[in-house]
Amino acid sequence: MSVTEQGLLEREKDSMTLNMGPQHPSTHGVFRIVLEMDGEVVDDAEPHIGFLHTGIEKTSEAKRYAHVIPMTDRLDYLSPPSNNLAFCLTAEKLLQTEIPERANYLRVIMCELARMASHLVWLATHALDIGAMTVFLYCWRERERILDLNEEISGVRMMTSYIRLGGVAKDATPGWLQGVRKFIDYLPAKIDEYERLLTNNPIWIDRTQGIGIMSREEAINWSMSGPVLRASGVDFDLRKQRPYSGYENFDFAVPLGKNGDIYDRYLVRVAEMRESRNIVEQALKKLPTGPYKVDDNKISLPNRNTLKSSMEALIHHFKLVSEGISVPKGETYVPVEGPRGEVGFYIISDGSNVPSRVKLRAPSFMAIPGMCAMMEGCFIADVVGIIGSIDIVMGEVDR
Amino acid sequence: MTSEEIIEKVKSDQGEDIQSAEVNLGDAVLFVAPGAVHKVLGYLKNDSDLNFDYLSHITGADYLNEERDPRFEVVYEFHSMDKNHSIRVRVGLEEEDPTVPTVSDLWRGALYPERELFDMFGFKVTGHPNLIRLIMPEEWGGHPLLKDYPLTIEDIAFSHNRELKQDLVKSKPPTR
Repeated sequence: MSVTEQGLLEREKDSMTLNMGPQHPSTHGVFRIVLEMDGEVVDDAEPHIGFLHTGIEKTSEAKRYAHVIPMTDRLDYLSPPSNNLAFCLTAEKLLQTEIPERANYLRVIMCELARMASHLVWLATHALDIGAMTVFLYCWRERERILDLNEEISGVRMMTSYIRLGGVAKDATPGWLQGVRKFIDYLPAKIDEYERLLTNNPIWIDRTQGIGIMSREEAINWSMSGPVLRASGVDFDLRKQRPYSGYENFDFAVPLGKNGDIYDRYLVRVAEMRESRNIVEQALKKLPTGPYKVDDNKISLPNRNTLKSSMEALIHHFKLVSEGISVPKGETYVPVEGPRGEVGFYIISDGSNVPSRVKLRAPSFMAIPGMCAMMEGCFIADVVGIIGSIDIVMGEVDR
Repeated sequence: MTSEEIIEKVKSDQGEDIQSAEVNLGDAVLFVAPGAVHKVLGYLKNDSDLNFDYLSHITGADYLNEERDPRFEVVYEFHSMDKNHSIRVRVGLEEEDPTVPTVSDLWRGALYPERELFDMFGFKVTGHPNLIRLIMPEEWGGHPLLKDYPLTIEDIAFSHNRELKQDLVKSKPPTR
C-alpha cells in the first residue's frame, strides 16, 4: 500500500506540528514542547516534561534528614542554598529549634550570593538565546567569582550543601568575608555594563517589549511566582511578606514591573541583583559573632576538639552519625523566596529519623503551564524569548 | 488575618462542610471530606475577607505505614496576595476510591499538580480536562510515590528476578 493510499499525505487541518526539544539549546535542559503552528504564529503549545526525572522525592523517603540535604542541591542546581534553606527551615520548624543569629546571617549571605549567581546565569543564557553573545561571556566571568567563594566556604563550587540542620556547615573565616566584600564592591560596575549593553539597545527592546505579556490576574491564577509574578505588578516577595532567617532586619526594595512582558522581567531581575548585593553588604556590616550552629548535640554534631575529652560528646557524635536526627511527628510547609520564586518543602514526619514524605514546591514546575499559555498567539521566534524569560530549571521541574 | 481568625471565620461560615480545623505550628489547617472540596475551596477563593487567590501547591500523601484511616490524603496550600495569609486544606481519601474533584476551574495553576497526583499516586481527579501521566512515561505501570511501590528495584522484567520482584512488591518498603 502506498503512502497516498494510506491517507498519510492528507492533512486534516491547515496547521503544522513542530517539535522543539528535548535537546534544543534554548530550553535550558531537557524540555520538549510540541507547537501547533499556523504559519509563523503559535496556535497551541503542549509541553512534555519528565526527561530529567530522578525520583528525588521517592528517594528522600529512604534517606535520613541530613542525607536529604545534598539531594536538594540537585533540584534547583543553579541556586542550591535556597533549596537547602527551604528544607532546613521546614525540618527545623518541626524540631522547633531556634537558629543562632550568626548562622542566620551566613544563610542570608549564601542565599543572596546564589540569587546573584542564578540571575547571572539567567541573564547570560537569556541574552544568548536572543542573540547577544557578549553578555553571555561577561556574566559567566562574574559568576565564576561566586563559585570561587562557594568553593572556599564549602569545598564545592556548585552543590554546596552549606546550610545544614541547626545552622551552617562551617564558620566563615575573615578571609572569606573579605572575598565577599571584594566581590560586592566589584559587581555594581559590571551590572551597569550589562545594562549599557541591553537596557536601551533597540534590538533587545524589539525582541522583548510587548511580548509574552501576562496580566496581574493571570499571573496569580496560573500560580506564577518570583520575578515573573512581580514583573506583572504583584507585590509579593516572601522575604518581605513572610520574613524568615532574619530578612526583616534588612532594608531592601522589591522591584516591580508594570506590563508583565519579557522586558519587565529582565528589568526586575537586574534590579533584584542590585538589591541582593545591598542585602549582602548590610549582612557583612551587621554580622554578629557567636556560634554558627545550634548548641544542641541532638541536632548538630559536637565540636571536633570536644570528642577527645567529653564522653557525652562522643556518644552524641556516634548517635548522630549512625542514627541521625529524629524529627517529631507532624507535617508542615515553609516557603522561601528562591531566585525563581516560591520554593518550599512539605515534609511529613512519622517521628522516625527518615521523612515519610518530602514534597518540593518548585516554582519552575508551577510556571510551565502558564508559560505555554503565554506562547499562544505569539511568533515562533518569540518562543525562545518566553522560555528564557521564565527561567526554568528542569532539575526542579522533573525532580 | 491570623491563623486563629481564619479558622474562626471558616468554622462559622462553613461549619457543616468541614470535618475539623486547627492551628498547627502556626499554620491554619482545614480538614475537608472529598465531597465538599469544591464547595469549600470555592468559598475560600471567593470570600472577600479570605480571598485565597493564589494556589501554592497540591500534593498527595500515603499513610500506609501509619495504618490510619483513610489511607490517602491530598493537601492544598493557598496564599492570599493582598491579605498576606495562608491556609492548608487536607482531604482524606479512602483506599478503595481515591477521587477528588478538580479545582483547575478556580485556579488554573492546578492543572499540572493534579496531573502529578494522578501520575504519582493514581488518584482520580474528576473534571480534569487532560488527566494523563505527566512525569513518568505514558506506558509506565504503577504509581511511584505510593508506599507499596518498591524503591529498590526497577520495573524491568528479567527472568532471574521475577519472583524476588513479586515478593518485594507485596512487602512494605525497607526502612532504615
